[in-house]
This record gives sequence, structure tokens and C-alpha cells, in this order.
Amino acid sequence: MRHATSQRIEALPAPVQGIAQTILDWIPLGIVVVLWELVSGTVVAESILPPPTAVSSLLVELVVTGEVFSHLFISLFRIAVGLGLSILIGVLLGIGMARSDPVEDFFDIFLSMTYPIPKTALVPLAILWLGVGTETAILIVFLACLLPIVLNAYNAANDVNQSLVWAAQMMGTDERSMLYKVVFPATIPEIMTGVRQAVPIAFVALVSAELIASNQGIGYLILTSGQIGNYPRMFANIVIISAVAFVAVRGFEEVRNRVLVWT
Amino acid sequence: MDGRVTISELEKVYGEGPERTKAIEDLSFEVEGGEFVSVVGPSGCGKSTLLYLIAGFLDTTSGTIAVDDTPISGPGTDRGVVFQDYALFPWRTVFENVTYGLEENDIPKEERQSIAQKYIDLVDLDGFEDKYPKELSGGMKQRVGIARTLAYEPKILLMDEPFGALDQPLREALQDQLRDIWDDLGKTIVFITHDVEEAVYLSERVLIMTRHPGTRKSVAEIDLDRSRTREEIVTSDEFAQYKNSVWRSLHEETQTEVTL
Repeated sequence: MRHATSQRIEALPAPVQGIAQTILDWIPLGIVVVLWELVSGTVVAESILPPPTAVSSLLVELVVTGEVFSHLFISLFRIAVGLGLSILIGVLLGIGMARSDPVEDFFDIFLSMTYPIPKTALVPLAILWLGVGTETAILIVFLACLLPIVLNAYNAANDVNQSLVWAAQMMGTDERSMLYKVVFPATIPEIMTGVRQAVPIAFVALVSAELIASNQGIGYLILTSGQIGNYPRMFANIVIISAVAFVAVRGFEEVRNRVLVWT
Repeated sequence: MDGRVTISELEKVYGEGPERTKAIEDLSFEVEGGEFVSVVGPSGCGKSTLLYLIAGFLDTTSGTIAVDDTPISGPGTDRGVVFQDYALFPWRTVFENVTYGLEENDIPKEERQSIAQKYIDLVDLDGFEDKYPKELSGGMKQRVGIARTLAYEPKILLMDEPFGALDQPLREALQDQLRDIWDDLGKTIVFITHDVEEAVYLSERVLIMTRHPGTRKSVAEIDLDRSRTREEIVTSDEFAQYKNSVWRSLHEETQTEVTL
């Protein structure tokens, strides 16, 4: 199907192609929203499934009154710190494990053991250590994002083309500067892949942590809206965080494409 | 003249126990300073291993390799390798690839730029300074590889089938360019190839290696009048004779391979 439609799009003049593709991409969402509007209040009670029109008027209210922004900023701050830390430590750990046997031997067991655990299951423990609030949310985001970044950095640093390392050696690069002169830059594309995987994971972890252990943030707004039975407000917050996550992923892809002009 | 490579009773063994394979056995050979020597041999004869041993990337099992009577221990900027797969840094532009060795040897920035430009011009890549390797064709990539290695001015160029991945007209163009560079700069060149014609056309001597484990089988002295054009050289009788004798010597080795 996709193939057939993209062929038809290619037949259009160039400037129209992008617009046509965008419209096509959003059509499924439009269909669902329309169905949702029709079903709400007819097949399903409006109190359980508020119609998109009700949700959007609350959404506008949340934005116009500015109520959502203080929570959104806190949520984004938690993501920025948690994801930032996971990139920093994940890259160091991944490259370190790939290039040094003692480092690999030491950390391997932890990564293998923690890999299958959903990091949100650690929220109660994080509350015990760090209490309810920002630190707990940051820790959960950090832990959830760490593995994809470590794994991508590790695999790439293991696979650095031997002749690149030799080429640098012959020109006088010593063992230590090899890491940042050759191994790190050679690993950047895969690090970007890891971060691309981590960005949506960060939002999942954040909202999960905020639902349980926070008095602020979008997750908290979703929870409390539900608790007081204001479902349009709950949906509006879900829509907001989904839209923000979507923009974050697209924004990161844009940054990545600019950084990786050489690939 | 500087840049003499002396190989004495060289042996290289890979692996241990049942995995143990001898790549090179009892090889002694001397490359004069400023000489152009090609190394040919059946595949698996250890000719690339030999090159990487001279480069210092691999350790010898026994025997020594010396440059101007000083035994080597690891890679050094007196030797420069041109790799078969180019080994350009993909995140660096053409210009930045060529300046890499100069940065590593603490050459001041302005000097770096003029030296890099000189060698980029030498391999006819002016105008491509700001391109990334992915934007270049194979032949252009290898010219960057050559410029990058020449830029930090090693005495010895070690070339591992550098034109192996290129098509015939491009190979010939690059061979001629390499001959010109050799004439101008007077480097010692050790050139690995499996192409007999390429070896005879380029070099003053051809070292023919035996098949597994590799050692010196014979050495052919090539004495061609290089002042002529390529066409005059490759169509001459003497060229054909040199080519045939190297081919015959090499063919005995490949015959052995088949009967084994």
C-alpha cells in the first residue's frame, strides 16, 4: 500500500510532494479522531470517553491559562537531566567497556542482569532512597535511557575499523588520545541511534515515575485529573505530552541529520 | 640515502596450539633508500602481513626489521601506510584528513595549511578540500589517502594494494601519478600488489614470494627506460620479458597451490 501511494506521490511536482506526503501521514490520525468524536456520547458514554471537541477546549484552556506550562517545564527539566546524564555516562561506559577488558568484565554482569527489568518497576525503591519528586523521576529516566545508549556505543566502539586505528597510529596518535581522536568520532552515528531510541523511552519513564512519585509534572496532572473524574482534562494532558514527545523525537532527528552530514 | 628497510630472518606466526599458522618464514630482504620495490605473491602468502610488520602494526615472532639500521618497535612517522580500503576518517573533510598527521606532530596551524594544500594539489584534488570522503569516488579517496600519508613526510611509503579496488583506466592514471610523485619526492616505496603488470611497470625491483608460509622466492630487477610514455613502455619487448619472467616465477607458486 505504502509503496503504491509513494509511487503516486513521486508523480507530483516536487514542491507539492512534501505537502502531499504530510497530509497522507496524518490521515489515519484524522480518521481516528473523527470516529472518536462520533462514538463518544453515542456508543460509549461521554463521561468515559470525552469527545475530541471537549478535550481540545480543555487543552486550549490549559495552554491559555498557562497552567500546564509550569508542569511541562518540570517534566522537560527531568527529561533533560535524566537523558543528559544517561548520554554522558552511557557513552563513557559503552566505549570504556568496548576498549578495556577490566571495565567490560566489571560492568557486564550489571548490564546483563538489569537489562530485562522494566526500569519503572524501580520507582518504589527510588522513592525510598530519594523521596517523592524530581530526583526520583530523573533517576528513573536515567536508568531507562542508559541501556540503549550503552549498547549502541559499545557495539560501535567494538567495531571501529582496524585500519582507521592503524592510520592514526602511524601518524603519531598514542593509545590514550586514540579514544577521543578516532574511537569516539567513529562511534557518533551509533550513539545518535542510541539517543534516538532513548528519547521516547525517556518520556515513557518520566510519565510512569510522575504517576507514582511526584507532586508536579505532566504525569501528575494526568493522574490527578483522572482521580477527580475530569476525563477531558486527563485526555488533554495525555495529548500534550504525546505532542511534546513527538516534537522532541522529530527535533532530535533534525539535530542528528545535521551532526551526521559526513555519513 | 635515508629510508633503507632491512628485513632479517623474519618470522611471523599467528595463533597458538592447533590454530597456529605460520604466515612468514625466514624472510631476509633489503630495500634501498629511495628504491621502489613491489611485492607479489599468491594470495595468502603473507604479503600484507609483511607490510603491516614493516609498518609496526603487528609484532614479529622472530627476526628483525630495521629502518636505517635502527630496529623498529611499533608504528612511527618515518613510515606511512596507504591502505587498500583507504582508511580515511569519514568525519573529517579531505583537508582535515590531510592535516591529521600534521596536527598529531604539532605543526603550527599556518604551516599545516600550506603543507596540506601542497599535497592536495599534488594529487590533483584542489577544489575538493571541503568534501567528506563519502562524497568522493574510490580513486579520489585513494588520492586523499596518498596525500594524507605524504603530508607528514615519512621517508618510507608502504602501499597495500592501493589501486586494487579501482578499474583499469583509473588504476593506470594513479600508477602514473605515483611514479611522478616517486620521481619528485624520492621516497622509498614498498608496494604490495597481485598484479604482475602493475609491479613491473612501477618498480625497480619485484620481490616474488612463495605461497604459505611466505618467504622470498626470487627477486626480479626491472631496468626500463622510464623516460618513455606508458604506451611505449608497456608495448616494448623488454617490458614483456620482465612481465613473463615475473609471471613464470609466480605461476610456479600458483601451480603448487593447485596440485596441493
